[in-house]
Amino acid sequence: MTDTTARSPVSAPQMIADALLRSVAGSSAQLRVTGASSDSSQSELGLIATTFSEVVISPVVMRKLRPAAKTGDASQWEMLVSATSVQAQVNALDLQSAQALFAMTLAVTMAGSDYLIESVASNEAFGKVYLYRLTLRETFQQAL
Amino acid sequence: MNGDHLWSLFRVPISMQNAKDSFYLALRSRLAVINPQRTVLVRGALRPGILLEDAEAPVAQPPADVFVMHWGALGAETELPSAMVAMECEISYCTSGTQAFGGLDRGRSLTTMDRELIAILQPLSTPKVNYSVQPAAPMQTQVFWDEPTFPSINVQRDRVSRSARVMVYSYQEKGE
Repeated sequence: MTDTTARSPVSAPQMIADALLRSVAGSSAQLRVTGASSDSSQSELGLIATTFSEVVISPVVMRKLRPAAKTGDASQWEMLVSATSVQAQVNALDLQSAQALFAMTLAVTMAGSDYLIESVASNEAFGKVYLYRLTLRETFQQAL
Repeated sequence: MNGDHLWSLFRVPISMQNAKDSFYLALRSRLAVINPQRTVLVRGALRPGILLEDAEAPVAQPPADVFVMHWGALGAETELPSAMVAMECEISYCTSGTQAFGGLDRGRSLTTMDRELIAILQPLSTPKVNYSVQPAAPMQTQVFWDEPTFPSINVQRDRVSRSARVMVYSYQEKGE
């Protein structure tokens, strides 16, 4: 939902969103982000191990959207993420946008479980994003 | 190829890895020439719009407007002077059309991708190269393949997709 009213942007909606996320037991999540130096034929063929870094975002809140209908199905979750935290990581990694950060994210880890990002949506007020909503799906356990 | 020849896989050491790598990189290079605008952002790098599914991270759903390669059935013919290996490659692609047309051009976009796939598969061969060494070492034989088969379109809400299949062949060389 976008507020198109012409007013100067302020940080109040972001502060309120952060406060609300914390007040409902907001926790932290880790984004597993790929290294940027992966542009070579060998990395495309799986011959070079890609480097990963863990990016912590907080506060976040998760809720289940759809339970698994049958055995083997993956449940769907929604993660509400503080835009302030995302913006801080975008600046730290010198990226152009939050979308770029989410595009480089292989998995989201929360409470020891890995999730894949299915879609990203954002909520805005006064022309500024105050909350990101990630639709996540549980990953299948990989062999170690 | 019948079951007896498949069984021979266990008697003769056979590897299709160099052929798979050569096939993928040939298609990738040809796509970059035929349609440089078809690109995909993967792991922070902008690349030609073709991916090897088993060399990338698992995704919730395949990216749109990109060719995704998946390797399938494997067979071998060892009663020839040089053993020949064959492997089926499935090349999937999907599109929701363009935003400018509100997705109403998704049929046309899929046709464009059909045409591009046929174009990048021509000619039906490429030199076999060993990419596991640096620099990549050209080998003695070629990788070659059949004409692709195009099954019917799969429609899922606003997304249309297709999975073309190609049988890729390679002669086994010494040291493979």
